[in-house]
Amino acid sequence: MLLASAAALPLLLGTAGCRSSDAFTGPDPLAGRPPLGHDVLTLQAVIAAEENMIDLYRMAISGDSRPSQARTLRALLAQHQQHLVRLKARLIVPPGTSASPTGGPGRQAGAGASTAPVRVTTSRLRAAERASAADLVRRLATVPPALAQLLASIAASDATHVTVLGG
Amino acid sequence: MAETAGAAGTVAALQAALAAEHAAIFGYGVAGAHLTRSGQAAAEQDWTGHNKARDTLAAMISARGAVPTAAQASYQLPFRVHDAPSAIRLAAYLEDGVTRAYLGLVAVSDQRLRRFGAMAMQDAAQRAASWRGSTQAFPGLTSPGSLAP
Repeated sequence: MLLASAAALPLLLGTAGCRSSDAFTGPDPLAGRPPLGHDVLTLQAVIAAEENMIDLYRMAISGDSRPSQARTLRALLAQHQQHLVRLKARLIVPPGTSASPTGGPGRQAGAGASTAPVRVTTSRLRAAERASAADLVRRLATVPPALAQLLASIAASDATHVTVLGG
Repeated sequence: MAETAGAAGTVAALQAALAAEHAAIFGYGVAGAHLTRSGQAAAEQDWTGHNKARDTLAAMISARGAVPTAAQASYQLPFRVHDAPSAIRLAAYLEDGVTRAYLGLVAVSDQRLRRFGAMAMQDAAQRAASWRGSTQAFPGLTSPGSLAP
């Protein structure tokens, strides 16, 4: 009965003067996943950069034996982790899509690719913080106001980190 | 119509930033009286910066055909300022208020003003961190407002 009904549907639609595409207004299930919006792509890129920063801090802390310096770096790392949580909370992606496009470019920096420990200096962290603040400000022009405010706030936080790191 | 609303929103955001600069200028006058010599030097430098920012914002508002908001004769302090530690806390509080006010500019449609607001936020957040001796994860987003008249 069901098969008979399905087979009869084009005929019925044709009789009513409709094409089958007019009958279904939802997304075409055969068209594949729709492209991600600009906001989503921006958030993914910023999340990836934040993950990269966190990896850098972890490497720097593990390679620094000075307790006071490690304490300072851990405090800054904690703020980057807060950034990441807040950014991820804003990102709603289709099921099966990663929050960050590449799975974390921090892994690109060498972690896991080699067994040799990677030494991350304070000056490298400082440069990364400065570059992050500049990148976030550059992105402000093309995102909605609420996201722009979050990115500007994180950029301001990064700028204060530059100062703490001796910049 | 939308353009008019956008322009009005831009002027309102500029006025809010100007009001915060007025409050900071007043507040640094109070804080400076209780700071030690090195603190006074830093406060004077920051006070000068806020005066320049005030003039810049007033010019931007005038250029848009509006009248810049005037400074109040006095402002309510958030707590009693009677010694160097409380003066330092006030300076950090003032900078937090300025940071928050510039956050409003980041939400306007004018892209150059967004950048201007973001860079001003960074300056204020750095001054706040310098006074407080610690940084914040979300400057401006979690800060209190500036001093009330």
